[in-house]
Amino acid sequence: MKQALSGDNRAYALLLGETSRLLKPFLSKRLSSGSDIDDLLQEILISVHKARHTYDGNRPYKPWVYAIAVFRLKDFLRIHYADQLHHAVELSEVEDYLLDPVTETVVSYESISGEVNKLPDKQATILRLMHHDGYTAKEIATKIGMNESAVKVAAHRAYKILKAKLVRP
Amino acid sequence: MKNIDDLISTLSKDATTIKIAPHPFNVGMGWIGVSAIYLVVLWIFSDVRHDLTLKLSDPWFVAELVMLIGILISSSFSAALLIYPDLYQKKNIAFLPIVVILVFALVIFFAWLANSPPAPLPIHSVECTISITLASLLPILWTLYLMRKFASTHTRLAGGISFILVFSIGAIWIRIYEQNDSILHVIQWHYLPMLGFGIIGMWLGKTALKW
Repeated sequence: MKQALSGDNRAYALLLGETSRLLKPFLSKRLSSGSDIDDLLQEILISVHKARHTYDGNRPYKPWVYAIAVFRLKDFLRIHYADQLHHAVELSEVEDYLLDPVTETVVSYESISGEVNKLPDKQATILRLMHHDGYTAKEIATKIGMNESAVKVAAHRAYKILKAKLVRP
Repeated sequence: MKNIDDLISTLSKDATTIKIAPHPFNVGMGWIGVSAIYLVVLWIFSDVRHDLTLKLSDPWFVAELVMLIGILISSSFSAALLIYPDLYQKKNIAFLPIVVILVFALVIFFAWLANSPPAPLPIHSVECTISITLASLLPILWTLYLMRKFASTHTRLAGGISFILVFSIGAIWIRIYEQNDSILHVIQWHYLPMLGFGIIGMWLGKTALKW
């Protein structure tokens, strides 16, 4: 640093490079985004450059540079969280939705009956008997002359087709 | 990482010889010296209280003055350390004014107990606060201007301490100049406002010492 302060460009470039290598792990532990780390590291290096006249070389370098790094990190986090708060949704804006039941399904047989009718006949009949009329798989098997496992397999395939059609990605 | 390398290359090209900031103790001594000169100038214009010689035989008055000078000296050195990013690695001295202010509060408390029967309150009141503020305006602008040339990482504290520093100058000036023996008056209109201005300084320091 002493050489850098006396105008040695090469020594100064080396010092900044070493400082950057020193601070990278420090910032990586505290920030998750790689771009944030790079942005903040650049800001710290600029701050080191601006404040270099306050370092006289008669005391350890690391506490000086870490003081600047911590100062800039706190500033960065303050702005980051203030920004998050700025974009946060007010609780009062969503309290109406919060009252909606979350354990009840909003999908009823009636609401998807149009899609059920488009299924192959056998699958549509099984779903209709199961969910509209309230039959069990065993009762349906007896009623339409299939075995119980085949009814369950057919119902399962019907669910998969409906899921693919109704659930948006 | 390429951006970092580019930045290092740009910054290193700008690495001309620069003037190193003075040692913080020199900065602090400078502030104390200028404060002393400013006080003398203020007293030349305002004169001193008529019974000053008599009052200097009152131990509590002397203790109060000594503690005010203590605040001035400790806050000068503290402010000088607080303008360095790492407090010049002398953290303990930087926080010394807090201890001195606590001792000062104790001294004032005992002076108030000793002031029996209590001296009558002077007719004036807020005029003292206004006078201290006016006397401190020029020094605070000068101090903040000087502090901005450095790189404080404790901007709030540096702002607060610098305000206490300059208001202690005003408080010393008015204590020697004002014909008043009421401790209640000095607490209410000299020292509590001084602490209040310290808080304003903390608020202002955040903006004024940004770099």
